Amino acid sequence: MPLTASHLSVLYGRRKALTDFSLSMEKGEIRALIGPNGSGKSTALQALAGLLTPSDGRAEIEGVAVASMSRRAIAKKLAFLPQQPTAPDEMTIAQLVRQGRFPHVGLFRSYDRKDEAAIEWALESTGLTRFADRTLQELSGGERQRAWISAALAQEADILLLDEPTSFLDIGYQVEVLDLVHRLSRERGVTILMAIHDINQAIAVSDRICLLEKGELRFDGAPRALAESGLIERTFRVKGRFVEVAPDKPPHFDVELTKLHRPGS
Amino acid sequence: MSLNAPAIGQPSRWILPAALVLVLLSFVAAVFLGIVDLPARDVLSALTGTGSPEARSIILDIRLPRIVTGILAGMQFALAGLFLQTITRNPLADPSLMGVSQGATLTVTVFLLFTVYLANPDSYSVNELPIAWLPPAGMIGGMLAGGIIYLLAFRLDLSPLRITLCGIAIGAVLHAVAIGLIAGWGSARIEIILEWLSGSLYARTWDHALFLLPFTIAGLAMLPLIYRPLILLRFDPAVARSFGLSYKRQFSLVLLVSCALAASAVGAVGPVVFVGLIVPHLARFLAGRHFPLVLPLTVVLGAVIVTLGDLIGRLAGGPEEVPIGVVTALMGVPVLLALLRKVP
Repeated sequence: MPLTASHLSVLYGRRKALTDFSLSMEKGEIRALIGPNGSGKSTALQALAGLLTPSDGRAEIEGVAVASMSRRAIAKKLAFLPQQPTAPDEMTIAQLVRQGRFPHVGLFRSYDRKDEAAIEWALESTGLTRFADRTLQELSGGERQRAWISAALAQEADILLLDEPTSFLDIGYQVEVLDLVHRLSRERGVTILMAIHDINQAIAVSDRICLLEKGELRFDGAPRALAESGLIERTFRVKGRFVEVAPDKPPHFDVELTKLHRPGS
Repeated sequence: MSLNAPAIGQPSRWILPAALVLVLLSFVAAVFLGIVDLPARDVLSALTGTGSPEARSIILDIRLPRIVTGILAGMQFALAGLFLQTITRNPLADPSLMGVSQGATLTVTVFLLFTVYLANPDSYSVNELPIAWLPPAGMIGGMLAGGIIYLLAFRLDLSPLRITLCGIAIGAVLHAVAIGLIAGWGSARIEIILEWLSGSLYARTWDHALFLLPFTIAGLAMLPLIYRPLILLRFDPAVARSFGLSYKRQFSLVLLVSCALAASAVGAVGPVVFVGLIVPHLARFLAGRHFPLVLPLTVVLGAVIVTLGDLIGRLAGGPEEVPIGVVTALMGVPVLLALLRKVP
């Protein structure tokens, strides 16, 4: 198993941000992590990436406890892209993406052909080759997000954790990012876990979905099973229904904008 | 070590050589120009070991040691400033903002108070002051202040804003205590403290240069080791750690190096303000997007600014020379304002 968590709990002071969270991911699988704001999605990702010390339980990469690994050893296996990361404005895309090679080159080793090839591939996969020498300041929000994804790709890690990679992107870039995620999983066998807000995107792109509520895992299974469980409406306190769009695809959640319709009806 | 600059463009080719030429020029100017108007021929013969004893003494015992001390201290202040700005991700970080200078000020004050007062309680006589002990005394204070900030920083999870605020608060307290002591102490000896406080290269000897040299060498030798961490430390801790950086270890290392560089420099020449603040900005401005240039430019410009600042102070003030700290502060303000205009 590339990535597992068993009974992970995280405390922020006295507040339980994550309680008894377990998951296990197959190689090349795409898993979406959904849930209302503050349900513990980011906490779960950070605990899996070893950025938070869990109060209980453990995360493992290929059977090795994340807590026992050095940052560099983790970074070779797992790339994590936090929500809304910031970088110095005058940094160029190429420089940012180069940082993704740090776990491989360390403090001293110079960048060899393999590193340059990884950087080139990372830039190309995100369509940024042409912009490589632009500074982050000169980019649009969508391009900046792709630059960060590109840096994570340059790590050439087999596990990719993304925290809301499509937020603040227009629909065109959202589709592009999801398409890239899909290609990485299917063509390169990258195991991907991502927190995402758009339920239909989660359903469309992932093999399995985890639903978190108040730091606890409420559901872990196939998108269709989630649709049939009725949990979406309950957890997010909305009304809606699942609509079949194609026979071989999971259904589409059509949310009812109750508060907009009520006054007129 | 390769710096791995991606496709270095045109301007970067000549910036570093130009800066090095500038070091050389300012060094030569500082050696040849001074209050005592020595003809160039006398300066040259003094340098080669011949020439009149008077010229030899002026050049070899007065000008050269203060220039070398200035160059070393300038490089140290500039590097310390760059490191502090990087790890706190605060463009205004500077040794004198972060409490290091104030810690040094306090120990120097206490040291003078005890040694001089205990030796001779008559507050109006100017007696032999233990000047040779000021650099180590100041350095200990600077390191102690740095240590306190470091310990607090760890308790506060290394949040950049909190570290900066901690540094400012600790600096303010230490400074207040030092000023209180000076005020209470009130005597003719205040002069030596005031001169030291303004940051001065006056009467610096080879001893000062030799005191600084190991720190400068150690600091420069660390550069290849911390070059890559320095880039990563500019990100959020979560990002830097995700890229594989042992954040706490590298943060501590860089903070320790900057405290040692700043504290030893403050000990030797007093708190020369603005060098640590301005030089990294200037280096970043000149380097633009060529980040690998920022580090060497910071070192080189640190040397240039202090050498030229001291030269200006020497020439402008006549026999009552203007301390370098005053010159850098006066020169620093317009530079800072110009840089601020650039920031949106």
